[in-house]
Amino acid sequence: MEAAYALIGYGLAAIGPGIGIGLIAGNAVQAMARQPEAAGMVRTTMFLGIAFTEALALIGFVLFFLV
Amino acid sequence: MITAAETCDFINEVVCKPANVKELFEFANFGSSQISRTEVLILLAGLIPVALMYFGLRKKSTVPGKLQSVVESIFSFVKDEIAVGVIGRGGEKFTPYLISIFMFVLVGNLFEVTPLVNFPVTSRMALPLFLSLLTYVIFLVVGVQKQGIGYFTHLIWPPGVPVALKPLVGIIELVSVLLVRPFSLAVRLFANLVAGHVMLSLLLASAYFFIVQPGGVEYLIARAPIGAAWPGGVEYLIARAPIGAAWFTLGLAIYGFELIVSILQAYIFTLLSAVYIQTSLHPEH
Repeated sequence: MEAAYALIGYGLAAIGPGIGIGLIAGNAVQAMARQPEAAGMVRTTMFLGIAFTEALALIGFVLFFLV
Repeated sequence: MITAAETCDFINEVVCKPANVKELFEFANFGSSQISRTEVLILLAGLIPVALMYFGLRKKSTVPGKLQSVVESIFSFVKDEIAVGVIGRGGEKFTPYLISIFMFVLVGNLFEVTPLVNFPVTSRMALPLFLSLLTYVIFLVVGVQKQGIGYFTHLIWPPGVPVALKPLVGIIELVSVLLVRPFSLAVRLFANLVAGHVMLSLLLASAYFFIVQPGGVEYLIARAPIGAAWPGGVEYLIARAPIGAAWFTLGLAIYGFELIVSILQAYIFTLLSAVYIQTSLHPEH
């Protein structure tokens, strides 16, 4: 039963980062399409943003194992 | 995990569960020695980059050979894109640290998709935690060297913020820099690799259960001449094999995905280390 709660918790923890990563990647694609010459810089910043956002989902994933 | 499935009642239970998920993380030592598989792989992850660097850059010819051009492109990628590109002025002197951390994490991650090894050493929390603590010490030392004790007072009492907000922003900054940074840096690498490893294990082991394990091909070959004694019959295998094939296909797709994740996580770990050093080195940004 605890594992079931943990699973629900992980699912909830993945909602926010999912939306966030979608926004980041979408806006990065827009930026690259508007200014292809800045693509390298945008890509680095996109990975940074994704890494920061993804951490929240991963903490939920780790909590699932801790339960 | 596989041994758990052999004792499983495969007629009544469609999906055989391992008794305990911790089995996924346990590995036997080599013989009676105290050296575990993880330690051997950590040693390899340390030695392979050294060997690669030594043999790649031994001759330094003007027209680089295959190995030399690979090593040089990795080196110049880390130097130009990460060390100088992110840290900026004064970033060159962090290149040795960043290249060693990048190569070590990269090789450690790629063990996940290496056939017959299939175990990422960075999915042991001790390793990413140690690496992130190294980065932690470096960016604290650099910050103190650059700004003296002002590094910490700026964290607690940030300049350029309205006085009413200073205590609140100070607490948030202090916690995020001193606690969340090393923790999230370690957990990001660890959790990505554990997630990938568990996903691959589950999918490919499921394929193994459904196609090869009791009731599947093995059973068919062993018991077919006797005929009546084996449960289900050919229909049983026909019903199970497509499920196994689907898991196997998905597992192979995830295998390719994990290859990308391994490289990307090594890049992100190095990139974030560089970003943290940069915030200590150039506080004005």
